[in-house]
Order: sequence, then structure tokens, then C-alpha cells
Amino acid sequence: MTTHDQAIAPAARGRFDAAQRLAVPALVLALAVMVAAPFMIGGYWMRILTSVYMYAVVAQGLNVIVGFAGYHAFGNSVFFGMGAYVAGVAVTLGVPVPIAFVLAPIVSMLAAAVIGWPLLRLKGHYFAIATVALNMAMADLIINVGGVTGGAQGLPLPLGSLSPEQLNRLIYYLMLSAMVASVLLVMWLARAPLGYALRALRDSEVGAEVMGINTTLAKTLAWAISAGMTGAVGGIWGYWINFIEPGSAFDIGVSVNGYIMMLIGGMGSAIGPVIGAFFFEILSTAIWGQFVKIHLLILGLVIILVVMLMPEGLLFYVQRLFGAREQRR
Amino acid sequence: MLGQTIVNGLLLGGLYAIAAIGFSMVWGVMGVINMAHGAFIMVGAYVSYFAFATLGIDPFLSLPLSMGVLFVLGYCVQRLLLNRLMRTSLLLSLVLTFGLDLVLVNIFLLIFSADLRSVNTFYTSRSFAIGPVLIPYVRLAVFVLALALAAGFYLFLNRTKAGQAILATSLDKETVRLMGVNPLRVYALTAGVGAALAGAAGTFASMLFPISPSMGITFIGSVFVITVLGGIGSIEGAVLAGLVYGLIQAFAASLLGVNFQEIVAFVIFLVILVLRPQGLLGKRFYGEVA
Repeated sequence: MTTHDQAIAPAARGRFDAAQRLAVPALVLALAVMVAAPFMIGGYWMRILTSVYMYAVVAQGLNVIVGFAGYHAFGNSVFFGMGAYVAGVAVTLGVPVPIAFVLAPIVSMLAAAVIGWPLLRLKGHYFAIATVALNMAMADLIINVGGVTGGAQGLPLPLGSLSPEQLNRLIYYLMLSAMVASVLLVMWLARAPLGYALRALRDSEVGAEVMGINTTLAKTLAWAISAGMTGAVGGIWGYWINFIEPGSAFDIGVSVNGYIMMLIGGMGSAIGPVIGAFFFEILSTAIWGQFVKIHLLILGLVIILVVMLMPEGLLFYVQRLFGAREQRR
Repeated sequence: MLGQTIVNGLLLGGLYAIAAIGFSMVWGVMGVINMAHGAFIMVGAYVSYFAFATLGIDPFLSLPLSMGVLFVLGYCVQRLLLNRLMRTSLLLSLVLTFGLDLVLVNIFLLIFSADLRSVNTFYTSRSFAIGPVLIPYVRLAVFVLALALAAGFYLFLNRTKAGQAILATSLDKETVRLMGVNPLRVYALTAGVGAALAGAAGTFASMLFPISPSMGITFIGSVFVITVLGGIGSIEGAVLAGLVYGLIQAFAASLLGVNFQEIVAFVIFLVILVLRPQGLLGKRFYGEVA
């Protein structure tokens, strides 16, 4: 904090408080619009919104492990694929769909806890790359295991009794609930002892340990929460598109998109990843619509621009506009 | 059979080594994980393909051309984009180079389409035999050239002023400033040289494999594994790891089947990351910027 900041602090604080008082009604209003939306918009926009919610949860999952704990799980899409396959295989084996949806995050959480124990010993880049390798290895594993997973041919899920409209509406509300739940979970985490422990170990792992924090436990828990969120939407996604194959379930693009959304929105905050998801997904849909052939080229350019121009995230600049920004540590 | 597997693995290992050295160097010196390295290799392959298909230049002769093109590309990317990120979180470079990878791959998709192409010279499928072991001329030449390039790069780093500046910057970028070295210029140089080596790998790959805009993806996984196996920033480590990796791939393919090549590679990768993160020959100070 510079003296300049301190000088403007009181006035800025007033503006920030006003913004905060407005924030709650604004969020409630936005939520009401999202709940009512399926009755007002067509299938096309409903599909886009559904994937916005899905990516918001993926970004939120990354937020927990990257934004809070400081472990850059670049290959978090491994849990997206895991969730999709757990739910998919369970449904194929005759497990009721709701139970399959619950199994997806649980198995992903357990997997993250088991894999995280050795993997989270790695620091910085090494951890990031290890998660990418983990993602590739899981995709290869599914291809080679075959059997009940369908292997390289993919896994068609049995069709339910719902009509396509009913299914899309169900998925819409499931993804929306997942997004709301993930925001609430991160809001809770921001105030919970675990959240403080994670931020402490992000800034200095040795320091946190000296303060009596069990860092191994804290970061393993963080990754498990992150994996649970990602796995939950992975499971719903698999049921939504009705056909899973290793390439699309373990697509590293899922976590890269989530990562970019988290960056755009601003990491470490509960609402940032959601803002990022809306911004990026709608932007890339618009790009897709305008430039079908070169949309990936333009998307790549947008990614470069975002990283170059606002490495701190949108929310950071919005808050700076209001004269104060959230305590980031 | 055993002899053939060893020869196949070693000969391919040379290509793997040269594909990984540039990546390893860039990571070791700057802490930048260049996700676009695979795309750089792809661009190098297309330079040689283009020179061969339209101008009739032998791929071995277009080696300097592809290295030059890639040097300029790597230098500019570092100078114009990545250098601005060096002061913020280095993991942003991961995202930025991912975006760059998308851009490069899609530009080449637009120009050359997704069709597989190949460079077929009169000597492409010729080979000679030593006992029961067949040795293709192209692979042997690629192997020798790759090792020569690696040795040349090693000498460049250890015997020239520019090379010494690169090594010094990787050790301590604050102190080199006091010695009159501008780290940002060293970074651009490192990125350029690293990309030039990727270009060389691309030229070699164009003679051995089908060429397509997405060919880089198959390389980037191997490059990661070799870099970590050899120790980040270590050239002799990357060469050794490249050869070991080639052997592992060859044996995995002949014993377990081609499908298991990748799984074996990733399992080794994860085990090494957890047990010996500094790699076979890695030194402690390399790649410690997090």
C-alpha cells in the first residue's frame, strides 16, 4: 500500500461499500434471470448458457487449487474426463442416473486425494506439467483398458425416457445448480480456516508449516475439492452429450479454457471465474459464429491478448475502477 | 530382433534429443514452458517440405533455412510477447504459448489443409544391413546430424560469449545485470536459438514422418518427458534422455504393442517427477524458478 492509496482510502471505501451493497441484489437478480431463462430463450442460447455454467464450475475448481493454494493444475481436465467416465460407466451398468451423478464427484475426489499425495510434493512448473501428463496418461489408459469403458471407440450412453427438450432443461438446471453450489463453496472456503491455510501456503509453504498448518493435508484437500467440482460437471456433461470418448473427455482444452476464464475473471475471488466464464464462452461462441473456419486462430489471438493486457483479471480492474480492491492475500 | 529394436530406438532417439534441447534450454534459462514448441517443430517441417516440393531443395540442404526461419520466429515471439510477461507470473507464459500454438497450427491448417504430406527423395527408403540389422540411410544421417547439432550447441553455450551470457542469466539474472548483460536480450537470443533447434527437429521429422499441422502434438508429449528425464536446462542430459526415451519407446512398442508406447512414457515421466525431479543430469539451480 502506498501513501497515495492510503490518502484516497476513505472515499474509495465508501464507493466500495456502495458497490458491495449493490452486489447482493444484483447477484440475486442475475440468478432469477438465469432460473427463468429456459422459458424465454431458444435451444441455441440455452445450450450456450449451459456450457457457460459448466465452464464456470471448471474454472471455479481451478480457482480452488490455483487461486487459493497456488498449485497450477494445468491438467485438471483429467477429473472432468474421470467424472464423465465414472458416471457414464455407472449408467451403462444400470446404476440409477442420480446416483451416477453423485458417484462422479466422489470418485474424482478420492482419486485426487490418492494421486495428490505424491504429486503435490512437486512445485511450480513441475506440478503443472505432471498434471498435464496425468491427463494424457488417463486418456491412453481408457483407450487401452477398453472393456466396459468402450476404449478408443467411445462409450454411447443408454438413452433415458426424457424427450430432448426435457433433457436439455434438466441439464441446464443441473449445471446452474452446480455453478451456484461451487460459488457458495468457494465463498465458504474464503472464510473457512482451510481457506486461510491455503492462502498462507500459497505465499510461503515453509512459513505456513511453521505456523502449524498441515500443508500436505490442506493442499490435498484443496485438490480434492477442485477435483470434486470438475468431476461433477464432467459427469453431467457425459450424460448431456450422450457419448463419451477419451479424446473429448480428457481434452486438455477444457482445463485450458477454464484457466483462461479464471485469469480473465481474476483468481482467488468467488465470483471472478463465473464472470470469466460468461465473458470467454460468449466471446468464443460469437467468434465461432462469425469465423467458422478460423475461429481457433482468433481464439488463440484472444488468449494471447488477454494474457498480455490483463494478467490480473477483469475483476481486478473493475474493483480498481471503484477505487478499492479486495485484499488479495 | 533385439539388435534391430536397439538400433531403431537409438536412431530415433537422436531426433527426440534435438527436439527436446531447445525446449529444455528455454525452460531452464527463463522458466518458460513453451507449449508452442511442438508447433515450432511443425513449422520447421513445413519449411523443408515447402522448399522440397516447390523449389526442389533437398531437405538436408534446407536445414539452415528452417533453422533461420524459426530463429526469427522464436526471437520475435520472445521480444514482442513473452518478455513483457517475465516480470509477472511465469505460469502465464504457459497460457500465452498455448494461445500461440493454436494460432500457428490454425494458420498452417488454413494454408496447407489437414492433408498428410511427405518428403520423398530418391534415398528415402534405402538402407544397408549389418548382419541381421537393417539401417536406413536417412535415419542414420539424421542421427549423426542431430548429435552434431547438439554438440555444436553445447560448444556455443560453453565457448562463446553469447553462450556464457545465457548460462549466467540462467544462474542469476540480477547479477548478470551488474556484469553488463541485458537479461531481456539474452532471453530473446535463447528463445531464438531454442526455436532454431526446433526447426532443425522439424526438418529431420519431415524426412521420417508424415507432415501435418497437428504433428507437433505428438512431439510435445515426448519433449516434456525427455526434458524432465534429462534435467531441465541440461543439454547433455537431454541427449542422454532422448536416446533412453527412444530405446524405451522401441522396446515398449516391440514388447507390449504400439498402443502402450505413450502409457509407458507417461508412467516413467510421473515416476521420475516424483522420485528425481532434477532429472538424470539436472543440476540444482536449473529450472528452480517457480
